[in-house]
Amino acid sequence: MALLFDNWVFISKGLVETFKLAGVSLLCATLLAVVLGTVSLLRVPYLGKVIRGAVELFRAVPLIVNIFFFYFVAPTLGMDLSPFASVSLGLSLWGGANGTEIVRGGLTSISAHQWQSARALGLTTWQVFRFIVWPQALKSILPPYAGLLTLMVQGTSLGALVGVGEFLRTGQIIVERTAVMQGESPAFVVYSAVLLTYFVICSCISQLSRHLERRFRAAAWAEAPRPLRME
Amino acid sequence: MFDPEYLLAQVPGLLRGLGMTLVVTAISIALAAAIGLVGAAMRIQRVPVLSQLAAAYVELIRNTPILVQLFFLFYGLPAVGMKMSLFWTGVVCLTLWGGAYQIENLRGGLAAVDRGLREAALALNLRPRNFMRYVAVPVALRVSLPSMLNTAISQLKNSSYLQTIGLAELTFVALDRVATDFRALEMFAALGVIYVALVFALSAVAARLETRLNRPYAT
Repeated sequence: MALLFDNWVFISKGLVETFKLAGVSLLCATLLAVVLGTVSLLRVPYLGKVIRGAVELFRAVPLIVNIFFFYFVAPTLGMDLSPFASVSLGLSLWGGANGTEIVRGGLTSISAHQWQSARALGLTTWQVFRFIVWPQALKSILPPYAGLLTLMVQGTSLGALVGVGEFLRTGQIIVERTAVMQGESPAFVVYSAVLLTYFVICSCISQLSRHLERRFRAAAWAEAPRPLRME
Repeated sequence: MFDPEYLLAQVPGLLRGLGMTLVVTAISIALAAAIGLVGAAMRIQRVPVLSQLAAAYVELIRNTPILVQLFFLFYGLPAVGMKMSLFWTGVVCLTLWGGAYQIENLRGGLAAVDRGLREAALALNLRPRNFMRYVAVPVALRVSLPSMLNTAISQLKNSSYLQTIGLAELTFVALDRVATDFRALEMFAALGVIYVALVFALSAVAARLETRLNRPYAT
């Protein structure tokens, strides 16, 4: 407890850094996932294969290797990436690859009839996506996507390995400092607290997603009979 | 810039690391599947106390980073007098992580077992234990297999986290070389190729296993 009070400014800084890391990566990953997931449905020659290859590669390689790759290889290629940048880059690409898979799965779950009917009504590809496919697919995309979100928050802990001062790194430093100053390691208490904190954050996200999912389903029901409004 | 000869010289070291990765992963996959089976049975049979404990365990593992779990096992537990060797810390970490996911995977499969089967088993005077063993689990395994194999593949990938505590597995060996020789590109190319090959090989095994188990249902 005394540890918590002595270090609380330090700890909150670590937490903020964790949230920053998670926020940036989530934003980039979602952008990648939405664009690549949608594009891979368009049957553009070669592009689909390229996307699939990239997605498979980033999914097959462990996240930690992914992040170390950007941390170690970028400088040899003349790019100067800060630890924060290399972690968010690795995490974004990893999350983007997994997100693309989720989005693609959700979009392909919409039956071909929907496409054919929409086409017959004269909707453009963009309109079909915007008004027909995406609203329906969101229902099957959202739950696994929330799962991915918790995994990405968990992934930010890898920042500790390359020197980003995020939450886990904060815990590590407190352990080291206290061990030196007081002669006994508070590792058990500190890492328990770190575990608990991540648990609370990720459980909240899981709960929120469950709630959203329920709300979403209710909203979809309520809106269903209304005619589509088109700009 | 990319030096193939350097890479060739590193092959023996990388192979040793690969061996360690495979051993740790194989043990953990087997143990995690066992945890999954026991835990899922408890959850589905609603064994008092144990069922809640299993649920809490699953939530805890799924909602915390594996890296923090590893640090807890490796730094936290020895601080209160519970010491394990490096190797077994790694195995325990991967097993606990995988076990939680396997419980969920198998629970999904067991929940999908038709109610009629349970009633039929009851009518035939099968004990709950025997119903699980001879009826529910074989049926559930087929349903759960894809997700269980996915978890196994994740365990393989997560074995790379063990480099952070200094277990000499594949990633550790590669990063160790990078730290001394500064030839990052070669080492990461090797790492990428090996992990992709391993994951694809495991996926291929998974696909075969699935077809084999679904043979009775094939049309």
